[in-house]
Amino acid sequence: MNFDTTIGEKNISILHIEGKILGNAADVFRREMEQQLQAAQGKLVVDLMNVPLIDSSALGAIVLTLKYCQESGGKLVLLNPQKAVREVLEVTQLATVIEIYDTEESASAALI
Amino acid sequence: MAETILVVDDDLDILELLRMNLEPDGYEVRTASDGKQAVEAATLDPPDLILLDVMMPHKDGFQVIEELKNIEETKTVPVILLTARGQTEDKVQGLDAGADDYITKPFDLREVTARVKAVLGRTRPIKYMNPLMRAMGSGFNEAGVQQLAGHLQAAAAIQKKLLPEQAPSFQGFDVGILLQSSMSVSGDFYDFIPLSETRVGIVLGDVKGNGIPAALLMVMIRTALRLLCREADDPASILKRINDLVVRDTDATLFATMIYGVMDTVTSTFTYSNGGHCYPLHRKRTGVIDVLKTGSMLVGAFEEATFASNTCLLAPGDIVVFYTDGITETNAGDDSVGNENSLVGSEDVKGQQNATSSDVFYGQDRLAACISENAILSASALCEAIVEDLARFSGSTQTHDDRALVVIKRNT
Repeated sequence: MNFDTTIGEKNISILHIEGKILGNAADVFRREMEQQLQAAQGKLVVDLMNVPLIDSSALGAIVLTLKYCQESGGKLVLLNPQKAVREVLEVTQLATVIEIYDTEESASAALI
Repeated sequence: MAETILVVDDDLDILELLRMNLEPDGYEVRTASDGKQAVEAATLDPPDLILLDVMMPHKDGFQVIEELKNIEETKTVPVILLTARGQTEDKVQGLDAGADDYITKPFDLREVTARVKAVLGRTRPIKYMNPLMRAMGSGFNEAGVQQLAGHLQAAAAIQKKLLPEQAPSFQGFDVGILLQSSMSVSGDFYDFIPLSETRVGIVLGDVKGNGIPAALLMVMIRTALRLLCREADDPASILKRINDLVVRDTDATLFATMIYGVMDTVTSTFTYSNGGHCYPLHRKRTGVIDVLKTGSMLVGAFEEATFASNTCLLAPGDIVVFYTDGITETNAGDDSVGNENSLVGSEDVKGQQNATSSDVFYGQDRLAACISENAILSASALCEAIVEDLARFSGSTQTHDDRALVVIKRNT
């Protein structure tokens, strides 16, 4: 797993993840999301377009980050998860508690 | 979850050789080409094992071990030294410094595989106690490790006893079960709870997280379920109560996916609630496969989660299969790729170079096909047939994740 961050429209941070999020990578993923949320006034888009699959550790990272957002008043949205990842989000119904967008514009707009 | 090996050598050819040898065995391999990099990489994200060259510029293998043993996160990571032939002193010095084993260069790759496996086998039980070891602080010693290893075995034994070894029999139905654990304490579980002469509670689930905390959560859920299922009839309200209990009593890293349902043998109905778990498959006698898609939130993560129930009717000859993601997420072996209609490597993953053959999962559709092909078999023979199909698909009888299966077949 690799990641980098870009600043999109209206100064919204977008965390781009590339590769599978499995095992220990999930912890790095969680820390990165939390740091970005802290740095960017609690608003973050996580781009999952290039993530072919995630495991339960990655789900745990998303759950923890959502809880962190609840506590700190931040907001996290997901961008463009692919089929396998989208299925996991749907079966676990995490898709009902996190907003998912198909374009960078709509994801950023949700945070403004 | 793959175990990670950090390979450290200043010879890039050796790094590549070891990577090519270890990755096919299912390990995740990271590399560092000098001692300084090695310490940084190991500290940032502690691996499960380090293969460490002794002779390196800047910082040799002994210095690396010494530093790692003084860092809280890395002091328990096992190290295998790569030493030059004849350098007996190196080996002694290495073991004194805290290395767990050594391999002499030039090495036989089969020896590397064997030693890596042996060291990981020895240290794996200790790894899962790391959170406990940190909590106990510096007072921790070898006797303590031994004692805890004993407790861990006892915990695994208790956990195994809690899972029924044999499928229960209930009037008019044939039941098959299967559990394969990838480590001593398992995250997958199932249970059957007699509610009356004609009604049985059935649960199948998967506790997320690792080691003892996950095992404790499983025991907690099982106990809560056994108590709650007699107080309420509606599976959704039972899952909601378990959810609230787990949210309140554990931290957010622990949660579970599970299905709880009640089989009524008089009406031949199954009323269930699904907390974020893989959708069960209902194969009708006509050959049609229904995916039971009534789902709810995973259990134990969010206080505000709500749960829904649904009912399905089992006609004579119908089969319902419950399974954990260890089944559908079984990876394809190298051999089987290409000779089946690949489910993942289609247009859905275009533009993803990193979706390699090992990303091809067994998947729900293959499972459905296997159920249909073997629908004539008894429930337990169907479990075996699924396991055999998984072995064919993955090219291995080993499993990296726990697998659990419950098959219920209405007699004709």
